[in-house]
Amino acid sequence: MAQVVFSTWGREVVDNRNVSGEPQAVSFKLPVAFDGERPLRAFMGWDGIILFDKDVDVPAMTAEYMKRVQTLYCCGKCTPGKKGTKVLTDLLQGVLAGTAKEADLDKVADLTDLLLNCKCTLCQSATVPVLDAVRHYRADFVARLNDRREHTAADEYIHKITAPCMDKCPSHIDIPHYIEAIKNYQFAESLTTIRESMPLPSVCGRVCPHPCETACRRKNVDDSINIMVLKRTASDYEWQHKITPPMQPKPRKSKSIGIVGAGPAGLAAAYYLALEGYPCTIYEALPEGFGGGMIAVGIPAYRMPRNLLQRDIDIIQAMGVEIVYDCRVGKDISLPDLKKKHDAVFLAPGAHRSKPMGVEGEDKGYKGFLPGGIDFLREAYMGRPTGMGKKVCVVGGGNTAIDCVRVALREGAEESVLVYRRSRKEMPADVWEVDGADEEGVKFEFQVLPTKIIVNDKNEVTGVECVRMALGEPDASGRRRPEPMPGSEFIIECDTVIPAIGQDPDLGFIPPDMGIDITKWNTVVTKYVPLKDAAGKDLKDGMGNMLSRSLITDCDGVFAGGDAEIGPLTVVACVGNAHRAATVIQRWLEEGKVYLSSDDIFDDLLTYLGVYDKNEKVAWLDSASRANQKEVHGKQRASLKNYNEVELGFSDSTAQAEADRCLRCYRMAMVTV
Amino acid sequence: MAHTESSENTTATLTIDGRQVTVPEGTTILAAAAELGIKIPTLCWLEKVSTTGACRICVVEVEGVDRPMTACNTPVKAGINVTTTSPRLEQIRRKTMELLLVNHPLDCPVCDAAGECDLQDTCYGLHVDRNEYGADLEATPIRYDWPLIENCTTRCIMCEKCAKVCHEIVGADAIEVKNRGECAIIDTTDGKPLDCDFCGNCVNACPTGTLISKPFKFRGRPWTFTVTPGICAFCSSGCQIEYHSRDGRIERVTSSDVGFNRGNLCINGRFGYSAFNSSGRLTTPLLKHSDDTQQKAGWGQALSAVALKLKEILTASGPNSVAGIGSGRLTNEESYLFQKFLRGAVGTNNIDSEARLGYFPAQVIQHEMLGYSGATYAMDAIEQASAVVVIGADLKGESAGFAYRVIQAATKNNAKLVLATSRATSMNKFANAFLQYRPTSEAWLVAGLNKAILAEGVENKTFIGSNTKEAATLAASVDALSFDQISAVCGVTETELREAARLIVGNGRTAVIYGSEVMRSADSAAAVTATIDLAILTGAVGVDGGGIYPLDEKNNTQGMLDMGVCPEYLPGYHSYVHGAARFNEAWKAAIPTTPGKNLFQIMAGIESGEIKALFVVGSDLLHSLPDRNRVMKALQKLELLVVQDLYLTETARLAHVVLPAATAAEKGGSFTTVDNRVQCFSAAVAPAAEARSDARILTKLHDLVAPVAAIAAASPTDLQHEIATLTGLYNEVCDHEGCRMGRAKNRIGQPALFKAFAPAPLAAHDAGRPFTLQIGPILRHNGSYTTWSENNLAVAGQAYVEICTRDAATAGITTGDSVKITSGIGSITLAARVSDDLQPGLAFVPAHFREARVNQLTTAATGAVAVKLEKA
Repeated sequence: MAQVVFSTWGREVVDNRNVSGEPQAVSFKLPVAFDGERPLRAFMGWDGIILFDKDVDVPAMTAEYMKRVQTLYCCGKCTPGKKGTKVLTDLLQGVLAGTAKEADLDKVADLTDLLLNCKCTLCQSATVPVLDAVRHYRADFVARLNDRREHTAADEYIHKITAPCMDKCPSHIDIPHYIEAIKNYQFAESLTTIRESMPLPSVCGRVCPHPCETACRRKNVDDSINIMVLKRTASDYEWQHKITPPMQPKPRKSKSIGIVGAGPAGLAAAYYLALEGYPCTIYEALPEGFGGGMIAVGIPAYRMPRNLLQRDIDIIQAMGVEIVYDCRVGKDISLPDLKKKHDAVFLAPGAHRSKPMGVEGEDKGYKGFLPGGIDFLREAYMGRPTGMGKKVCVVGGGNTAIDCVRVALREGAEESVLVYRRSRKEMPADVWEVDGADEEGVKFEFQVLPTKIIVNDKNEVTGVECVRMALGEPDASGRRRPEPMPGSEFIIECDTVIPAIGQDPDLGFIPPDMGIDITKWNTVVTKYVPLKDAAGKDLKDGMGNMLSRSLITDCDGVFAGGDAEIGPLTVVACVGNAHRAATVIQRWLEEGKVYLSSDDIFDDLLTYLGVYDKNEKVAWLDSASRANQKEVHGKQRASLKNYNEVELGFSDSTAQAEADRCLRCYRMAMVTV
Repeated sequence: MAHTESSENTTATLTIDGRQVTVPEGTTILAAAAELGIKIPTLCWLEKVSTTGACRICVVEVEGVDRPMTACNTPVKAGINVTTTSPRLEQIRRKTMELLLVNHPLDCPVCDAAGECDLQDTCYGLHVDRNEYGADLEATPIRYDWPLIENCTTRCIMCEKCAKVCHEIVGADAIEVKNRGECAIIDTTDGKPLDCDFCGNCVNACPTGTLISKPFKFRGRPWTFTVTPGICAFCSSGCQIEYHSRDGRIERVTSSDVGFNRGNLCINGRFGYSAFNSSGRLTTPLLKHSDDTQQKAGWGQALSAVALKLKEILTASGPNSVAGIGSGRLTNEESYLFQKFLRGAVGTNNIDSEARLGYFPAQVIQHEMLGYSGATYAMDAIEQASAVVVIGADLKGESAGFAYRVIQAATKNNAKLVLATSRATSMNKFANAFLQYRPTSEAWLVAGLNKAILAEGVENKTFIGSNTKEAATLAASVDALSFDQISAVCGVTETELREAARLIVGNGRTAVIYGSEVMRSADSAAAVTATIDLAILTGAVGVDGGGIYPLDEKNNTQGMLDMGVCPEYLPGYHSYVHGAARFNEAWKAAIPTTPGKNLFQIMAGIESGEIKALFVVGSDLLHSLPDRNRVMKALQKLELLVVQDLYLTETARLAHVVLPAATAAEKGGSFTTVDNRVQCFSAAVAPAAEARSDARILTKLHDLVAPVAAIAAASPTDLQHEIATLTGLYNEVCDHEGCRMGRAKNRIGQPALFKAFAPAPLAAHDAGRPFTLQIGPILRHNGSYTTWSENNLAVAGQAYVEICTRDAATAGITTGDSVKITSGIGSITLAARVSDDLQPGLAFVPAHFREARVNQLTTAATGAVAVKLEKA
């Protein structure tokens, strides 16, 4: 078991260097080996230092940390940052070279104090571990500056720049950078930064659940930055100013990639591979004009205007990506054939199969009982008959359920009811989506469980029998388990029932003999880096998947990503995952091997460790409140066939002011291996 | 600055250093402190750009907040208690300054900024006299290879003012922060030598000696110069400037951020002063001898020769055998004296100027429809517009000051920008719609825009209903044209027109700016009428509108016209019938009561022999009028050609008498910009050598030709009083401190008159001359004036012909090739420049360069002519 030798992480000193007896037990959310192989000997970052190996050369590590901050990441745009880190860097190098004096070490604290006045947090936070090292390992520093012997650099260091928001974003967009560009009225530059990690900016500027904002340090002052709408602003600026997207794909290469599905994952993988010059062909089951996967079929146009989604797709096609529409892999072309046609295959079919509700009568083919929420949204979007009547009852508590009740109104429902077995605040749907439905006149039935579909003699749905639920003990998810209240049965009269309780990937197109493994949750199994904690347990992500996956399946040359690999999640998660897949595919095509770079692994490690600290006290004046975008209000916005966008974005000046609230919380982590 | 879009105008009361102050929400602590007269030290703060927060000198303590906050970019909050000075803050500021000085070179003795360096001043102010910190020197390169500007990166304190001004004010995006950490420097975005607008606003903003003016380098220590406020004498933006002079020579021009133009100039304003110091300046009068050579002469000799010959011609052929050509370069007072000389002393109304080529006829139409000429408001009103429509102008090329205002509107105040030009310009990146019409189809385009506004129902119905006349005429004009017809002619689709229409009138406050392509259109009357109709239709000219703004390249064209330098009107646009008696009485003269000949009639009169004497002031007719060979022949026919100018122009070379005039820096007076601001100034230096101000020359001549005691004795004040009284146009008291004159405000309350127009069919395509050559202004010059400025020439040395990539490929032409351009009447050869700003079939030649002789190709005032292009 890896022993912590010394730590200041979390601003708590654990010093096991010279203890007799039982060392102080402390553990951190870090793997014992950085990449599953090389032991992680020390970790250094914004919150202190952690030493797992007593032989780590602390002065050398400290000097290297400061030097990397100053030469690689310090933006140079404030005096303490630019100059202070330079003075510190040279001072620490002077220690290593033996040219510094012991008194110089006292300047570190003085400079740390002065660096508190930095414009942002990179340089400022970098002084934290440096001062810890100098303070607690002073003897080593003193010994070093008096030691004229040659020292060979034995330790290897790996670093990573991050920020709480950037870390929390599954696509790891350089959020502080794109926000700073907006602050400086550089909207086009902002979008360029966004595109480095997010090729569907108009989408994620609108419908992203923005986990980044839950990890925004500004929240510790007043309220998070409106990161999502700022992204929308940058993205809208481009088309509103007729700017041609600046991406220039590299010269075309010969090896090609076949991609299953034109959803967020498929499009994102194609985008990044196309940038590298790889010819990509996407095979999409739906007809032309309906690309976008779950974004198109699952997110109604009043949240995501179709012309803008199509514009993002058009841009990707303009980069040389071919999309073959009306082509369902497994039906119109077999997966083995696809594999023969291309040098690599990326599976991103999404998760489009509605889950059964488990209610009496759902399998009887009743008229008015629709197959599922996603199916309903898709048919409505494609302008085909949905089978919906006048009184609609949607079952579920997620965003899809909300989309269904809101679309039902726009499709002419006289009454649109949402039935959910828990309470409003426990709905997985985003709060603003629920509020939106409320405003449009949707009726809610909370803590209600449907038990039976009621039909007339013509097998037409006439209602749903339900039972009220009481909240019992918390379950594994931490939410209190709803339990039926005996005798509370009642009937909701309706002519349409839409189950919208979740989706699974439909992986029927993968022949069993291809060697592609599938999990019990019906997702594709991909390979991973064996990261283990001190107790020998595998590190896993929030979805229960292995933490650091290379996204190749057990079948050589076949990769997988998106909802079908992660499990049904978000656009931004699919994009981040597909971006990694694209890099891995490129490595595989160019080097013949599949691996994750230190940078990839470091991303996963930081996400696992957590960069945002909700308890951090951030000293700042809370004098600029968060700006929220305007939206169309009133029931009229959900009138028949009114799919006009509800949210209206920011004016440029509001965006600029909102961007000015950003605290630019960059920080650098470094490990010694 | 309100933060949320819905926020109301609320205020916050806070305490700073124990004193209460109430300010609008969103105000910074720095600004709130300034309200109380508390000055917090700053280095990187610059009011006109977004905050940077780089230097960290402006730190203040806010009670309850554990870290010092920067005053420059922290908005106030109600109830906070701010301390701006304390031992702790002093210590932070002093130590921050010490850090700032780590690796800052101690080359103050040779630094151009020494004596006007904010870094020096701040160190001094904060008593920073030692440095506890040190670091290894990272030598960053000095960019000597940039034209006009030198970048000594080691002196940089990374305040980013230069880059912010470049991006936010000028929109050039030429420079930015490059590299990381201590190696961070300001450099060009592409790393190549600077190739930008060369406005030098970065130099003006630089608080240290990092970005310096090369022409000014080592010309002297800043404190040894005399600084005189002036008004820029180049374009019609009327920027307020400061001449720095020593030993009678202008050595640099700066501008203060507290002035009307916020310290922002263009290349002409900042660097064009070298035209004043040009070796081509006329220094003595010249007299043409019998052998046709021009010889130096004394003033007495030259003026007597003019007077004598004039009298001789007057006696022989009468006053109508004399004509005068004025100039938009002269001051109001000089223009007034010029026309007074011709009307009052000579007795002719044959007086006109280059404004005849576009600006004046446009203003006649505008006057008829709106009741005033020039702009509705001073140009700063543009910044408050919700939509700006620019028609037929390369905005920066014609008037950079207007471009800067439009950039502010579009980028900081959310205005929608619609650009309609035949060429893409540097303003395109700010535009929400770009209507690129076929060359010469301006009238069609504007007709289409009017039609689209009506079709979309987004016209300003309130204004039209309450304060306009004849709305039906416009409806009839556009109803006569179909979108298909319009699109077929101008090449802009109905969809594009409608989209633009929706942008224009979205929420009300529209500004309309029109430039030379409209005023010098082949179908200019229709184009101008349609444009003014557009301004009425959108309510731009209503009291709540954003205004209409005609552009002119020269600084005082509007003032010159106000002063009566046109054959149709007396000063103040008084008709002869109405005003002659009053002027006669005042001038003790007998002005003819019928309008005189205009520019074209004067040229025809010379050719027919009717006009025998021509007095040209500040105008190079051989360069500026169409059909150069014809002009040459005509001028050679004159019995007397007097040219009064700064330079020995080619027109001057033909003159019998050449009179050397003074530059704007060498005289006082007033200029009136196209937006009707009248600004007074006094001389910064004495006239070069023997040169004299136009006023002095004209007064003397007036005396010689028709001695009137009053005129010789008239002081500038008397003269301005006379102008104000007689024109009724200029008030004697101006809003502007230090000015004695001002123009009566436009009567925007009066009803605007819609007027019918019918665009003419475009000239038939000529297979032999398939290109349309557009001749127009470019950013790096102003008129032909700056072609005498070595600074301007350093970055734009000669003419070229610009064509698009597709046409270049077809013709096998690449950049730098010699291209022969042939029109119906002549040909010239220029170097090619291939560009994507142009549409196929269009070629462009800058109008400024005398040597290019581009008017050998033209026959009419229009800026466009059909030509053939071939690789020479």
